[in-house]
Amino acid sequence: MRAEATAPGWAGVLARQALEVAAKDVRVEVRSGEALPVIVPFGAAALLLLPIAVGADVPLLRQAGWGMFWVVVLLFGTLVTVRGTAVDDPAQRDLLALLGVDPAARFAGQTLASALLLVAFQVLLAPVAVALYDPGLTGWRWLGPTVLLVAVGLAALGSLAGMLTAGLPARGTLAPLLVLPLSVPLLLAGTQVTAGAAFGRSPLVWLLLLVAADLVVLAAGVLAAGSLDETTTR
Amino acid sequence: MTASTPTSTRATATARAGRRVWLPAATAALLALGLAAAMAAPPDRLQGNLQRLMYVHVPAAWLAYLAFAVTFGASLAWLWRRRPGADRLAAASAEVGVFFTGLTLVLGSVWGKPVWGVWWTWDPRLVTTALLFFVYLGYLALRRAVADPVARARRAAVLGVVAFVQVPIVHLSVVWWRTLHQPPTVLKPGDPTIDHAMLAALLVNLAAFTALYALLVASRLELARLQDEAERLLAEGEPPLAGAAVTPPRPEGMRERG
Repeated sequence: MRAEATAPGWAGVLARQALEVAAKDVRVEVRSGEALPVIVPFGAAALLLLPIAVGADVPLLRQAGWGMFWVVVLLFGTLVTVRGTAVDDPAQRDLLALLGVDPAARFAGQTLASALLLVAFQVLLAPVAVALYDPGLTGWRWLGPTVLLVAVGLAALGSLAGMLTAGLPARGTLAPLLVLPLSVPLLLAGTQVTAGAAFGRSPLVWLLLLVAADLVVLAAGVLAAGSLDETTTR
Repeated sequence: MTASTPTSTRATATARAGRRVWLPAATAALLALGLAAAMAAPPDRLQGNLQRLMYVHVPAAWLAYLAFAVTFGASLAWLWRRRPGADRLAAASAEVGVFFTGLTLVLGSVWGKPVWGVWWTWDPRLVTTALLFFVYLGYLALRRAVADPVARARRAAVLGVVAFVQVPIVHLSVVWWRTLHQPPTVLKPGDPTIDHAMLAALLVNLAAFTALYALLVASRLELARLQDEAERLLAEGEPPLAGAAVTPPRPEGMRERG
């Protein structure tokens, strides 16, 4: 009985398992190098192409710079969340299930790993956007929490879509279709934080929207993980 | 597995046949009544006859909400009880909901051109409705992508629950943001801010569209039931052999042996 009293609770076990899964996913990504070495240049190329489409009007680009940055972050960040290295094949899933890894912990771990990669993705892409569009850095200190919250929300959405489309041949196209329409609160809040900061307005309301959106998606993913796991570990 | 007696099977078949007659008849009658009510209602003081589009546009939008609410409820029911009927209902309702959402967008665009001067504007109600359309297109795409019926039902049920969060956002978008689209006139606290003759015509059309929704969902459910039945019979029967359909050529005049 004493041993039970000192054993970590369900939340503690879940957190430890999630950290292990996240570490595994990051390690796989570091070894394979799919997200950052491939998708960052792809996103940077998109930032370079956008002005060619809308016209190389410097004041316009300065005004729309952060908006374009956030659109590229969402479009290409979705690719980061549904990258091939984030996919566990059935054997890996069975092994994790045999090791007693909770499906919710697997979701949380995948989300954490994708969020870390997305933060790195945004940190690498933001200087490119600043260099190309010169959008102004007023209120830059709000960028930190915004980048973090957008990363968590997008990672959670991507992990949820990844669970829904696991093992499907059309996963690469279907998962972004599921993620993008639901990621609008992230785009809205991201653009409004930077636009509001430029005019000296407090962006707290938009940060609260980001927190709320993140919590809703995280809760949905944790609650749905068990149900969806039945399909994948059979 | 439940064994059905011949009497109960006959009763179910009779009920189905009855539904096949009265539901289309009631829908046709209600649609005709709705058309008459829309024509009889007074024209709008500013928009004139153009405003009569409201008698299709608004019921289509409400029916889209209803359809996705049914998908939400049926998805929850599937996750709770795992009955195939709940999954079929969720899928049928989502398909009809996507149709009504598309109709809402197209009619809104047709109405917007003469009134606002553009086919499309970056209005929160329009954008959130278009997003709703894409969210449920994703739902239908997911259903098509999964071959195993149980896996399909499970994944679709989770998405059917998550996707419903978009519906209140669409409805409240005109309250939360400054918008060109008019705010709610009926589904709001207090007396509806619409002429009562127009409101009556709108409610008649709402009843007609609800009957149309019921008819479309019932037809889709029947089709899904027959599809499941055909798949079951195919699974129970002899598996077809490759090339079984190919018979050797028989020249004219040749007799069969034996």
